[in-house]
Amino acid sequence: MYTQFFGNYLLNQQLISPDHLADALQMIKNTRVKIGILAINAGLISAEQAEEVHKEQQRTDKRMGDIMIEKGYIRESQLEALLKSQQSGHLMLGQVLIDNGYMTTSQFANALNSYKESNKITDADFYNVKDNQTKQLLTRFYDFNGVSDSKYLVGYVSLLMKNLIRFIGDDFTPMQSEKIENFQCNCCAYQEVSGPFNATVIAEADINAFLEFASRYAGEVLTEYDEMAEASVGEFLNLQNGLFSVNLSDEIGEELTLKPQTAERNMTLTNLKNTFKIPVCFSFGTVNFILCL
Amino acid sequence: MLFFLLFILEISVKLWYHLTILILDWCVFMNNNMITILICDDSILVRKKMKDTLSKIGNITVLEASDGEQAVAQYMDKKPDLVFMDIVMPKKNGVEALKEILSFDKSAKVVIVSSVGTQGNLKEAIEAGAYDFLQKPISDDSVIKIIKGIK
Repeated sequence: MYTQFFGNYLLNQQLISPDHLADALQMIKNTRVKIGILAINAGLISAEQAEEVHKEQQRTDKRMGDIMIEKGYIRESQLEALLKSQQSGHLMLGQVLIDNGYMTTSQFANALNSYKESNKITDADFYNVKDNQTKQLLTRFYDFNGVSDSKYLVGYVSLLMKNLIRFIGDDFTPMQSEKIENFQCNCCAYQEVSGPFNATVIAEADINAFLEFASRYAGEVLTEYDEMAEASVGEFLNLQNGLFSVNLSDEIGEELTLKPQTAERNMTLTNLKNTFKIPVCFSFGTVNFILCL
Repeated sequence: MLFFLLFILEISVKLWYHLTILILDWCVFMNNNMITILICDDSILVRKKMKDTLSKIGNITVLEASDGEQAVAQYMDKKPDLVFMDIVMPKKNGVEALKEILSFDKSAKVVIVSSVGTQGNLKEAIEAGAYDFLQKPISDDSVIKIIKGIK
């Protein structure tokens, strides 16, 4: 989960622009993290040393890892461990941003360190986030203050992020939530839930992002906006709400009542109260999750 | 020459006779092992995924319903061997449909399939007489296990 929120941290710190982030997310799939970034992430070299190695590599025909060993920055065993380490999403994002000149290596290294410090996280936390850590991260990240009936909101959004990773993919960055009063939906699926948590939950996107989201959930390529595409996005919501009801039942012994999910195009939302839009930027486009409480 | 032609004719007739018997036996065998399954879910995606799973098993006639009312009507009309029933559906929910089906046929085997796998839902389904309960997203293995159980 920390991986997904790193892009947003960079935005909030004004280290990159939303356009640069959107560009980077589109390129992320074809990126491989270089050894320099992996070494910075592991705390083995500083950003300055990485820059130095990078410059030397441009002059000579040696591999970065070999130069780092020659300079005595890392040992051979450390290089082997780095080569085996995971191609985590936040490092891939950093690599794309550096490769495209949107950030320098030093800026990335500093941002990564301050992100880890401000969230009190270790490298292991990037791969194995505990439930309470996710909720703490979301509480720091989203401002749901002033929302009535917000008691279960963080738990709901936390589950949503986990389900996005589980069923759609981890190549996304959640953006800041926004309180809205009116909204023009393009393609959307929605479901109403009631009980201890009352909400209408909407998943909205332009047609291309909607179809890609639907394809990923269905596990097959859907190229036409049809009943199958609508059913796929609707079923994702149904699953999210069903699993949230299971969580609530386990935690407080109460359940939600779900209404059948529906889909619609060009739906206009007006005079909304207590309504939040949570945009989630995937590599294929943005999907907005709208929570009408 | 005539003797030879009569011999060929006799062989051909016998061959056709045995072949026809064989085909008829095969049809009876297939029919006896064929089961009918009704899939009730308002999501066309869930129905398709379930049909894909069932097609891997073979010898299954699949019926579909997209709401609780259709499910009851289909059951009364076709009396399938097994029903996979979603809970949250338009017109009539899965538990209501299950109760109606059981009041029509006490031996009906209805598996409740739901994303809301809470203790409350599970209890309600079992008390209403459900044969089993599956939490979505369902795996091929769990479906195959249930079908092997009824076969």
